[in-house]
Amino acid sequence: MTDKTTPLYVVCSPCRGVGKTLVSRLLAEFYVVNDRPVAAFDLADEGPQLTDYLPGITTVADIADTRGQMTFFDRLIANDVGARIIDLSHRVFKNFFTVVQEIRFFEEARRRSIEPLVLFIIDPDPKSAKAYGVLRQFSQASLLPVRNQIKTDAIPHGVARPNANIVPTSLDIPLLTFPLRALVDRQSFSFSRPRGTSPADLPVLLKDELSGWVERVFFQFHTLELLLGCA
Amino acid sequence: MTKPAVVLIGGDKGGVGKTTVARTLLDYFAHQQLRVRAFDTEAPRGTLKRFHPDVTDVLDINHVPDQMRIFDTVNSTDAAVTLIDVRAGLLSPTLRALRNIGFIEAAKKGEITFVLFHILGPSIASLDEIVDTAAYLGDAKYFLVKNFINNTYFFEWDEATTAAYFKRIPDAVEITIPKLAEMAAEQVDLASVPFANFMANKKQGGASASYSFVLRGYVRHWLETIWAEYDRVGLTDTMEARTMEAREFPGPPIGRPRPIIKIAET
Repeated sequence: MTDKTTPLYVVCSPCRGVGKTLVSRLLAEFYVVNDRPVAAFDLADEGPQLTDYLPGITTVADIADTRGQMTFFDRLIANDVGARIIDLSHRVFKNFFTVVQEIRFFEEARRRSIEPLVLFIIDPDPKSAKAYGVLRQFSQASLLPVRNQIKTDAIPHGVARPNANIVPTSLDIPLLTFPLRALVDRQSFSFSRPRGTSPADLPVLLKDELSGWVERVFFQFHTLELLLGCA
Repeated sequence: MTKPAVVLIGGDKGGVGKTTVARTLLDYFAHQQLRVRAFDTEAPRGTLKRFHPDVTDVLDINHVPDQMRIFDTVNSTDAAVTLIDVRAGLLSPTLRALRNIGFIEAAKKGEITFVLFHILGPSIASLDEIVDTAAYLGDAKYFLVKNFINNTYFFEWDEATTAAYFKRIPDAVEITIPKLAEMAAEQVDLASVPFANFMANKKQGGASASYSFVLRGYVRHWLETIWAEYDRVGLTDTMEARTMEAREFPGPPIGRPRPIIKIAET
């Protein structure tokens, strides 16, 4: 067992199409770009999914039965995988947290110096608020809402209580103009190699917007890592 | 001196999970720091002994010398609890034998605490067993155990029929044993260790093992649910004495505080 604390991110929402895979991709590539070990786990069951974007570092998992759960969770708490990122499908949301609670997965993870952080993508759907309330009862994992402003129906800024201190109240995925959204949705696109994967004729303004956008997101990831004690 | 307790686990039908319940009880008593000895009546080879070899003896309860081994030593043993896993079909004969040797009378006089776990089957015959069994009990604490670990469905137990039987034994208390994930049950069986050892990732004798974390989690959740049932029915209060040394169980607490990340109201 290592003394160094490593993060475990669970990117989730009980709703579909809110940007779970986008956030998971960003997180995974944050580690890739910093040349640090990372393992991503794809619990999605419809494409395009994480493994389509990052096949080299992503393992597809299925936790429908006990055997699948053993393969997935036992691998997840292995000592040699670095940061762990789970892209959790809305269909698996309930089963995942039920199993996690039953086997006390987060407690065991923390015992092994793995710090769990649930990144919950908020959405106006009432089942989102209800699920968020349930997750707040998981005392062994930190829980942080994610505001994905790329989605037009995402909950806007200003909903959260005013907060004067430096501790983040949410992770913000800023707006991205339409052509860049189409670009980052391409399976060949990589946030860690934007210049290599973006079209050569992409206007300078858009290139600057994209790199500024990625930097804003990655800066928040770095802050989160510091808070988790994993940097 | 504390009053000794005898716990009988039986059911006239086979395959209802008597030994599984006995194993959960041995783990529970150990967790409650009660010193316990167990007898497995599946002579010559006992299943209970395979899981709890240190505290279990195998014997034939129909055999008078073996009856003497158990009941003549109830007062002299340093174990606070004597647990007997009664083989299928032997519950009624065993209770008869206990009555004949004066054990039931001793329990009535308060010299011994007598507890019966009657593991029920899914058929109406189980209800008849209850009435037959209750006739021998006197002042024994009588627990009726519905065991779902073997995927049992108590389909024949319609409410009116059940109520009619239970009215005759108003002091009986029902206990429910939930189902354990099949793969977890199989793995514990293969490992041949107490459930508590499996949970703590230990082999027989305490050496470190490498059981699946997921399966250990399922076993822990299942066992704690059962222990909560035993707590609910006041099992330890029934046993009275606590004689074993304190034992650390089952894992170290998490010393590291969880990082504080401010959570926004949504």
